[in-house]
Amino acid sequence: MKTIFKLATLTLMIFAVSGYGFSASKAENLVRGIIGPVSSNVSWSGYTVIAQVPGAGLIPVTSTTTVFYLGFTAGAEADVSNMVLYTTARGSSTITAVTPVTLGGISNPMIDLASATVCPVIEISSFNPCIVRLDPTKITLSALSDYYLAVFFTASDSNNSSIGLTEPQFQQSSLRGTYISGDETRLTVGATIPSSLSFSGQPYSLMYVMTN
Amino acid sequence: MNTFYKLATLTLMMTLLAVSAFAQEPVPATALANLTEGQGVVASSGNQAWDGLSEFVLIPGASLMGASSTTTALYIGFTGGSEADIGNMVLYETPRNGSTVLKVTKVLLGGSASPSINLTSTSVCPIQPVSATNPCIVRLDTVKLALSPLDDYYFTVYFTLDTNNEKISGLGQSISPGALSGWFLYGDQTRVGVKGALPTNENNDQAPFFLAYITNQ
Repeated sequence: MKTIFKLATLTLMIFAVSGYGFSASKAENLVRGIIGPVSSNVSWSGYTVIAQVPGAGLIPVTSTTTVFYLGFTAGAEADVSNMVLYTTARGSSTITAVTPVTLGGISNPMIDLASATVCPVIEISSFNPCIVRLDPTKITLSALSDYYLAVFFTASDSNNSSIGLTEPQFQQSSLRGTYISGDETRLTVGATIPSSLSFSGQPYSLMYVMTN
Repeated sequence: MNTFYKLATLTLMMTLLAVSAFAQEPVPATALANLTEGQGVVASSGNQAWDGLSEFVLIPGASLMGASSTTTALYIGFTGGSEADIGNMVLYETPRNGSTVLKVTKVLLGGSASPSINLTSTSVCPIQPVSATNPCIVRLDTVKLALSPLDDYYFTVYFTLDTNNEKISGLGQSISPGALSGWFLYGDQTRVGVKGALPTNENNDQAPFFLAYITNQ
Protein backbone atom coordinates (compact mmCIF):
# COMPACT_ATOMS: atom_id res chain seq x y z
CA MET A 1 0.00 0.00 0.00
CA LYS A 2 2.87 2.30 0.81
CA THR A 3 4.24 1.84 -2.68
CA ILE A 4 0.90 2.88 -4.17
CA PHE A 5 0.87 6.02 -2.03
CA LYS A 6 4.42 6.82 -3.08
CA LEU A 7 3.64 6.28 -6.77
CA ALA A 8 0.57 8.49 -6.43
CA THR A 9 2.66 11.21 -4.83
CA LEU A 10 5.22 11.01 -7.66
CA THR A 11 2.48 11.23 -10.29
CA LEU A 12 0.97 14.24 -8.57
CA MET A 13 4.34 15.99 -8.51
CA ILE A 14 4.80 15.32 -12.25
CA PHE A 15 1.32 16.81 -12.92
CA ALA A 16 2.17 19.85 -10.83
CA VAL A 17 5.52 20.46 -12.53
CA SER A 18 4.18 19.97 -16.07
CA GLY A 19 1.20 22.23 -15.34
CA TYR A 20 3.57 24.95 -14.20
CA GLY A 21 5.67 24.55 -17.34
CA PHE A 22 2.67 24.88 -19.68
CA SER A 23 1.35 27.92 -17.83
CA ALA A 24 4.17 30.19 -19.07
CA SER A 25 2.36 32.74 -21.21
CA LYS A 26 3.22 33.07 -24.86
CA ALA A 27 3.63 36.47 -26.49
CA GLU A 28 0.74 37.29 -28.82
CA ASN A 29 -0.04 40.42 -30.77
CA LEU A 30 -2.82 42.59 -29.33
CA VAL A 31 -2.94 44.70 -32.48
CA ARG A 32 -1.26 44.55 -35.84
CA GLY A 33 2.17 46.06 -35.21
CA ILE A 34 4.69 47.65 -37.50
CA ILE A 35 5.25 45.73 -40.70
CA GLY A 36 8.22 45.72 -43.03
CA PRO A 37 11.34 47.86 -43.14
CA VAL A 38 11.76 51.01 -41.07
CA SER A 39 13.68 54.21 -41.63
CA SER A 40 15.31 56.44 -39.05
CA ASN A 41 14.10 59.76 -37.66
CA VAL A 42 16.68 61.49 -35.47
CA SER A 43 16.98 64.14 -32.74
CA TRP A 44 14.24 63.85 -30.12
CA SER A 45 15.42 65.98 -27.22
CA GLY A 46 12.43 67.80 -25.72
CA TYR A 47 9.79 65.97 -27.75
CA THR A 48 6.96 63.67 -26.75
CA VAL A 49 6.10 60.87 -29.14
CA ILE A 50 2.48 59.79 -28.91
CA ALA A 51 1.24 56.55 -30.42
CA GLN A 52 -2.40 55.63 -30.73
CA VAL A 53 -3.52 52.05 -30.10
CA PRO A 54 -7.08 52.03 -31.41
CA GLY A 55 -9.57 49.80 -29.65
CA ALA A 56 -11.08 49.09 -33.04
CA GLY A 57 -7.84 47.39 -34.06
CA LEU A 58 -7.58 44.95 -31.17
CA ILE A 59 -7.16 41.28 -31.98
CA PRO A 60 -9.43 39.20 -29.71
CA VAL A 61 -6.64 37.83 -27.53
CA THR A 62 -7.36 38.07 -23.82
CA SER A 63 -4.60 39.38 -21.60
CA THR A 64 -4.42 41.12 -18.25
CA THR A 65 -1.11 42.70 -19.19
CA THR A 66 0.02 44.77 -22.14
CA VAL A 67 3.61 45.02 -23.30
CA PHE A 68 4.89 47.84 -25.49
CA TYR A 69 8.01 47.55 -27.63
CA LEU A 70 9.97 50.65 -28.63
CA GLY A 71 12.29 50.79 -31.66
CA PHE A 72 15.54 52.76 -31.89
CA THR A 73 17.73 53.17 -34.94
CA ALA A 74 20.59 55.43 -33.76
CA GLY A 75 22.29 56.89 -30.71
CA ALA A 76 24.16 55.69 -27.66
CA GLU A 77 21.64 56.46 -24.91
CA ALA A 78 17.99 57.43 -24.82
CA ASP A 79 16.99 59.48 -21.78
CA VAL A 80 13.29 59.20 -21.04
CA SER A 81 11.70 61.60 -18.55
CA ASN A 82 8.32 59.94 -18.36
CA MET A 83 6.06 57.37 -20.03
CA VAL A 84 2.31 56.97 -19.61
CA LEU A 85 -0.63 55.30 -21.25
CA TYR A 86 -3.74 57.43 -21.67
CA THR A 87 -7.13 55.78 -22.01
CA THR A 88 -10.03 57.50 -23.76
CA ALA A 89 -13.42 56.30 -24.90
CA ARG A 90 -13.28 55.04 -28.47
CA GLY A 91 -13.09 58.01 -30.82
CA SER A 92 -12.95 60.50 -27.96
CA SER A 93 -10.01 62.66 -26.93
CA THR A 94 -11.01 63.04 -23.28
CA ILE A 95 -8.71 61.09 -20.99
CA THR A 96 -10.46 58.64 -18.68
CA ALA A 97 -7.42 56.98 -17.14
CA VAL A 98 -3.68 57.49 -16.94
CA THR A 99 -1.48 54.44 -16.39
CA PRO A 100 2.25 54.69 -15.72
CA VAL A 101 4.47 52.76 -18.10
CA THR A 102 7.88 51.63 -16.88
CA LEU A 103 11.15 50.05 -17.91
CA GLY A 104 13.12 48.32 -15.19
CA GLY A 105 10.49 49.50 -12.74
CA ILE A 106 10.86 53.23 -13.44
CA SER A 107 9.06 55.69 -15.69
CA ASN A 108 12.19 57.72 -16.44
CA PRO A 109 14.74 55.16 -17.62
CA MET A 110 18.02 55.76 -19.38
CA ILE A 111 18.22 53.21 -22.16
CA ASP A 112 21.77 52.18 -23.02
CA LEU A 113 21.59 51.63 -26.76
CA ALA A 114 25.30 50.80 -26.95
CA SER A 115 24.91 47.78 -24.66
CA ALA A 116 24.71 44.39 -26.30
CA THR A 117 22.42 43.20 -23.53
CA VAL A 118 19.89 45.89 -24.50
CA CYS A 119 20.48 45.85 -28.25
CA PRO A 120 21.91 42.48 -29.32
CA VAL A 121 23.02 43.70 -32.75
CA ILE A 122 25.44 46.61 -32.40
CA GLU A 123 25.66 49.10 -34.09
CA ILE A 124 21.96 49.81 -34.31
CA SER A 125 20.57 51.21 -37.55
CA SER A 126 17.43 51.20 -39.64
CA PHE A 127 18.54 47.76 -40.89
CA ASN A 128 19.18 46.52 -37.35
CA PRO A 129 16.73 48.42 -35.19
CA CYS A 130 17.00 47.91 -31.44
CA ILE A 131 13.67 46.79 -30.05
CA VAL A 132 13.28 47.54 -26.35
CA ARG A 133 10.58 45.68 -24.44
CA LEU A 134 9.04 47.81 -21.71
CA ASP A 135 7.76 46.32 -18.48
CA PRO A 136 4.36 44.64 -18.74
CA THR A 137 1.68 47.21 -17.95
CA LYS A 138 -1.15 45.85 -15.82
CA ILE A 139 -4.02 46.82 -18.05
CA THR A 140 -6.45 44.84 -20.15
CA LEU A 141 -7.02 46.68 -23.39
CA SER A 142 -10.69 47.03 -24.27
CA ALA A 143 -12.19 47.27 -27.72
CA LEU A 144 -14.42 50.02 -26.35
CA SER A 145 -11.49 52.35 -25.62
CA ASP A 146 -8.60 53.96 -27.43
CA TYR A 147 -5.14 54.16 -25.91
CA TYR A 148 -2.30 56.63 -26.34
CA LEU A 149 1.25 55.74 -25.35
CA ALA A 150 3.18 58.95 -24.61
CA VAL A 151 6.96 58.97 -24.16
CA PHE A 152 8.80 62.20 -23.36
CA PHE A 153 12.49 62.37 -24.22
CA THR A 154 14.32 64.65 -21.78
CA ALA A 155 14.83 68.21 -23.04
CA SER A 156 18.23 69.89 -23.47
CA ASP A 157 19.84 66.48 -23.46
CA SER A 158 22.72 65.82 -25.81
CA ASN A 159 22.07 62.06 -25.81
CA ASN A 160 18.56 62.58 -27.05
CA SER A 161 19.80 64.91 -29.78
CA SER A 162 21.53 61.93 -31.35
CA ILE A 163 18.97 59.19 -30.96
CA GLY A 164 17.01 57.84 -33.88
CA LEU A 165 13.53 56.36 -33.62
CA THR A 166 12.00 53.86 -35.98
CA GLU A 167 9.74 55.37 -38.64
CA PRO A 168 7.70 52.78 -40.55
CA GLN A 169 7.80 52.71 -44.33
CA PHE A 170 4.73 50.55 -44.82
CA GLN A 171 1.23 51.72 -43.96
CA GLN A 172 -0.32 48.42 -42.95
CA SER A 173 -0.22 48.66 -39.16
CA SER A 174 -3.18 49.34 -36.86
CA LEU A 175 -0.98 51.75 -34.91
CA ARG A 176 -0.91 55.47 -35.57
CA GLY A 177 1.29 58.17 -34.14
CA THR A 178 2.72 61.64 -34.07
CA TYR A 179 4.94 63.86 -31.94
CA ILE A 180 4.76 67.20 -30.17
CA SER A 181 7.28 69.57 -28.60
CA GLY A 182 7.33 69.59 -24.79
CA ASP A 183 6.28 67.16 -22.10
CA GLU A 184 2.77 65.89 -22.84
CA THR A 185 2.98 62.99 -20.41
CA ARG A 186 1.54 64.96 -17.48
CA LEU A 187 -2.04 65.19 -18.67
CA THR A 188 -4.61 64.08 -16.11
CA VAL A 189 -8.03 62.45 -16.18
CA GLY A 190 -10.52 64.84 -17.75
CA ALA A 191 -7.92 66.59 -19.89
CA THR A 192 -7.87 66.04 -23.63
CA ILE A 193 -5.32 64.67 -26.06
CA PRO A 194 -4.05 67.84 -27.80
CA SER A 195 -6.39 68.62 -30.69
CA SER A 196 -3.51 69.85 -32.80
CA LEU A 197 -2.22 66.31 -33.11
CA SER A 198 -2.98 64.32 -36.21
CA PHE A 199 -2.71 60.57 -36.02
CA SER A 200 -2.78 60.08 -39.76
CA GLY A 201 0.72 58.61 -39.91
CA GLN A 202 2.48 55.60 -38.48
CA PRO A 203 3.99 55.92 -34.99
CA TYR A 204 7.56 56.82 -34.19
CA SER A 205 9.29 54.22 -32.01
CA LEU A 206 6.29 52.13 -30.95
CA MET A 207 6.64 48.88 -32.88
CA TYR A 208 4.47 46.25 -31.23
CA VAL A 209 1.80 45.86 -28.60
CA MET A 210 1.70 42.35 -27.23
CA THR A 211 0.49 40.23 -24.36
CA ASN A 212 4.01 39.53 -23.15
CA MET B 1 4.69 10.47 6.45
CA ASN B 2 1.87 7.99 5.83
CA THR B 3 -0.65 10.80 6.20
CA PHE B 4 1.28 12.85 3.64
CA TYR B 5 1.16 10.00 1.10
CA LYS B 6 -2.54 9.49 1.76
CA LEU B 7 -3.27 13.16 1.24
CA ALA B 8 -1.26 13.13 -1.98
CA THR B 9 -3.18 10.11 -3.21
CA LEU B 10 -6.50 11.80 -2.38
CA THR B 11 -5.41 14.94 -4.26
CA LEU B 12 -4.35 12.86 -7.25
CA MET B 13 -7.69 11.06 -7.33
CA MET B 14 -9.55 14.38 -7.19
CA THR B 15 -7.38 15.76 -10.00
CA LEU B 16 -8.02 12.72 -12.16
CA LEU B 17 -11.76 12.95 -11.51
CA ALA B 18 -11.80 16.63 -12.39
CA VAL B 19 -9.78 16.07 -15.58
CA SER B 20 -12.07 13.20 -16.49
CA ALA B 21 -15.16 15.36 -15.97
CA PHE B 22 -13.83 18.16 -18.18
CA ALA B 23 -12.78 15.63 -20.78
CA GLN B 24 -16.44 14.69 -21.33
CA GLU B 25 -16.79 17.71 -23.64
CA PRO B 26 -16.57 16.56 -27.24
CA VAL B 27 -13.22 17.45 -28.74
CA PRO B 28 -13.90 19.87 -31.59
CA ALA B 29 -12.21 19.28 -34.89
CA THR B 30 -9.59 21.93 -35.50
CA ALA B 31 -11.31 24.80 -37.23
CA LEU B 32 -9.84 26.53 -40.23
CA ALA B 33 -8.41 29.84 -39.05
CA ASN B 34 -6.50 32.65 -40.68
CA LEU B 35 -3.06 33.11 -39.17
CA THR B 36 -2.90 36.62 -40.62
CA GLU B 37 -5.17 38.73 -42.79
CA GLY B 38 -4.96 37.60 -46.39
CA GLN B 39 -5.92 39.33 -49.61
CA GLY B 40 -9.49 40.50 -49.99
CA VAL B 41 -10.07 41.43 -53.61
CA VAL B 42 -8.75 39.76 -56.72
CA ALA B 43 -7.41 42.35 -59.12
CA SER B 44 -5.14 40.53 -61.59
CA SER B 45 -3.57 43.81 -62.60
CA GLY B 46 0.08 44.65 -63.07
CA ASN B 47 1.15 41.15 -64.04
CA GLN B 48 4.17 40.73 -66.28
CA ALA B 49 5.77 37.64 -67.78
CA TRP B 50 6.84 35.58 -64.79
CA ASP B 51 9.41 33.38 -66.50
CA GLY B 52 12.68 33.64 -64.59
CA LEU B 53 11.21 35.78 -61.79
CA SER B 54 10.98 35.20 -58.06
CA GLU B 55 8.29 36.70 -55.90
CA PHE B 56 8.89 37.53 -52.24
CA VAL B 57 5.93 37.93 -49.91
CA LEU B 58 6.35 39.28 -46.41
CA ILE B 59 4.22 37.57 -43.75
CA PRO B 60 4.82 39.87 -40.78
CA GLY B 61 5.00 38.40 -37.30
CA ALA B 62 3.51 41.65 -36.06
CA SER B 63 0.31 40.83 -37.94
CA LEU B 64 -0.29 37.32 -36.61
CA MET B 65 -3.69 37.06 -35.00
CA GLY B 66 -3.10 34.61 -32.20
CA ALA B 67 -4.52 31.45 -33.74
CA SER B 68 -2.36 28.75 -32.25
CA SER B 69 -1.15 26.24 -34.80
CA THR B 70 1.81 23.95 -35.31
CA THR B 71 1.26 23.97 -39.06
CA THR B 72 0.93 26.64 -41.72
CA ALA B 73 -0.91 26.39 -45.01
CA LEU B 74 -0.09 28.78 -47.86
CA TYR B 75 -2.48 29.39 -50.73
CA ILE B 76 -1.39 30.81 -54.08
CA GLY B 77 -3.79 32.19 -56.66
CA PHE B 78 -3.73 32.24 -60.47
CA THR B 79 -5.90 34.24 -62.84
CA GLY B 80 -4.46 33.13 -66.16
CA GLY B 81 -2.21 30.70 -67.99
CA SER B 82 -2.28 26.98 -68.65
CA GLU B 83 0.65 25.72 -66.63
CA ALA B 84 2.80 27.25 -63.91
CA ASP B 85 6.27 25.76 -63.67
CA ILE B 86 7.83 26.40 -60.30
CA GLY B 87 11.57 26.04 -59.85
CA ASN B 88 11.57 26.17 -56.06
CA MET B 89 9.59 27.44 -53.07
CA VAL B 90 10.84 28.32 -49.59
CA LEU B 91 9.75 30.12 -46.46
CA TYR B 92 12.47 32.33 -45.00
CA GLU B 93 12.36 33.30 -41.33
CA THR B 94 14.01 36.56 -40.20
CA PRO B 95 13.90 38.69 -37.05
CA ARG B 96 10.94 41.07 -36.99
CA ASN B 97 11.66 43.97 -39.33
CA GLY B 98 15.06 42.47 -40.10
CA SER B 99 16.54 40.92 -43.22
CA THR B 100 19.01 38.32 -41.94
CA VAL B 101 17.80 34.79 -42.56
CA LEU B 102 17.41 32.70 -39.40
CA LYS B 103 15.90 29.63 -40.97
CA VAL B 104 14.84 28.30 -44.37
CA THR B 105 11.90 25.90 -44.67
CA LYS B 106 11.05 24.12 -47.90
CA VAL B 107 7.54 24.60 -49.22
CA LEU B 108 6.07 21.79 -51.30
CA LEU B 109 3.11 20.96 -53.49
CA GLY B 110 2.33 17.28 -53.85
CA GLY B 111 5.59 16.59 -52.07
CA SER B 112 7.68 18.55 -54.58
CA ALA B 113 9.34 21.94 -54.22
CA SER B 114 9.40 22.28 -58.03
CA PRO B 115 5.90 21.33 -59.15
CA SER B 116 4.25 22.02 -62.47
CA ILE B 117 0.70 23.21 -61.80
CA ASN B 118 -1.77 22.33 -64.53
CA LEU B 119 -4.15 25.28 -64.50
CA THR B 120 -6.40 23.77 -67.21
CA SER B 121 -7.16 20.69 -65.12
CA THR B 122 -10.51 20.77 -63.35
CA SER B 123 -9.05 18.69 -60.54
CA VAL B 124 -6.65 21.57 -59.84
CA CYS B 125 -8.85 24.51 -60.86
CA PRO B 126 -12.52 23.42 -60.73
CA ILE B 127 -13.89 26.41 -62.64
CA GLN B 128 -12.49 26.79 -66.14
CA PRO B 129 -11.14 28.85 -67.71
CA VAL B 130 -9.13 30.46 -64.96
CA SER B 131 -9.62 34.22 -64.86
CA ALA B 132 -9.83 37.18 -62.49
CA THR B 133 -13.50 36.33 -62.07
CA ASN B 134 -12.73 32.67 -61.43
CA PRO B 135 -9.30 32.60 -59.86
CA CYS B 136 -7.69 29.26 -59.18
CA ILE B 137 -6.53 29.03 -55.59
CA VAL B 138 -3.99 26.29 -55.00
CA ARG B 139 -3.33 25.10 -51.47
CA LEU B 140 0.30 24.15 -51.03
CA ASP B 141 1.28 21.26 -48.78
CA THR B 142 0.97 22.11 -45.12
CA VAL B 143 4.26 23.34 -43.71
CA LYS B 144 5.18 21.92 -40.31
CA LEU B 145 6.04 25.25 -38.83
CA ALA B 146 4.38 27.34 -36.12
CA LEU B 147 4.62 30.99 -37.09
CA SER B 148 5.87 33.16 -34.23
CA PRO B 149 4.82 36.77 -33.69
CA LEU B 150 8.44 37.45 -32.75
CA ASP B 151 9.71 36.75 -36.29
CA ASP B 152 8.92 37.71 -39.87
CA TYR B 153 8.49 35.25 -42.72
CA TYR B 154 9.07 35.59 -46.46
CA PHE B 155 7.39 33.16 -48.81
CA THR B 156 9.51 33.03 -51.95
CA VAL B 157 8.60 31.27 -55.16
CA TYR B 158 10.76 31.03 -58.26
CA PHE B 159 9.08 30.61 -61.65
CA THR B 160 11.24 28.65 -64.07
CA LEU B 161 12.51 30.41 -67.17
CA ASP B 162 10.15 28.82 -69.70
CA THR B 163 7.36 29.72 -72.12
CA ASN B 164 4.54 28.48 -69.86
CA ASN B 165 5.46 31.03 -67.23
CA GLU B 166 5.38 33.84 -69.81
CA LYS B 167 1.59 33.49 -69.84
CA ILE B 168 0.61 32.93 -66.23
CA SER B 169 -0.83 35.68 -64.08
CA GLY B 170 -1.42 35.97 -60.37
CA LEU B 171 -4.36 37.39 -58.49
CA GLY B 172 -2.57 40.58 -57.41
CA GLN B 173 -2.13 43.41 -57.09
CA SER B 174 -5.14 43.61 -54.90
CA ILE B 175 -6.32 46.87 -53.40
CA SER B 176 -6.92 45.03 -50.14
CA PRO B 177 -3.71 43.16 -49.43
CA GLY B 178 -4.52 42.45 -45.81
CA ALA B 179 -1.26 42.23 -43.91
CA LEU B 180 0.70 40.91 -46.88
CA SER B 181 3.11 42.72 -49.14
CA GLY B 182 5.22 41.44 -51.98
CA TRP B 183 7.75 42.25 -54.63
CA PHE B 184 9.64 40.41 -57.34
CA LEU B 185 13.18 40.10 -58.61
CA TYR B 186 14.85 38.42 -61.56
CA GLY B 187 16.53 35.11 -61.00
CA ASP B 188 16.15 32.32 -58.48
CA GLN B 189 15.96 34.04 -55.08
CA THR B 190 15.07 30.89 -53.18
CA ARG B 191 18.66 29.88 -52.48
CA VAL B 192 19.61 32.36 -49.76
CA GLY B 193 21.07 30.42 -46.83
CA VAL B 194 20.89 30.90 -43.08
CA LYS B 195 22.69 34.12 -42.04
CA GLY B 196 22.35 35.42 -45.59
CA ALA B 197 20.57 38.72 -46.22
CA LEU B 198 17.33 38.96 -48.13
CA PRO B 199 17.24 41.58 -50.88
CA THR B 200 15.62 44.90 -50.13
CA ASN B 201 11.97 45.37 -50.91
CA GLU B 202 11.87 48.30 -53.31
CA ASN B 203 8.16 48.08 -54.11
CA ASN B 204 7.06 49.14 -50.64
CA ASP B 205 3.78 47.75 -49.39
CA GLN B 206 2.30 46.54 -52.67
CA ALA B 207 0.02 43.54 -52.52
CA PRO B 208 1.58 40.27 -53.57
CA PHE B 209 0.71 38.70 -56.93
CA PHE B 210 0.40 35.06 -55.97
CA LEU B 211 0.23 34.46 -52.22
CA ALA B 212 -3.38 34.95 -51.19
CA TYR B 213 -4.02 33.39 -47.78
CA ILE B 214 -2.18 31.93 -44.80
CA THR B 215 -4.17 29.60 -42.59
CA ASN B 216 -3.55 26.95 -39.97
CA GLN B 217 -4.49 24.06 -42.29
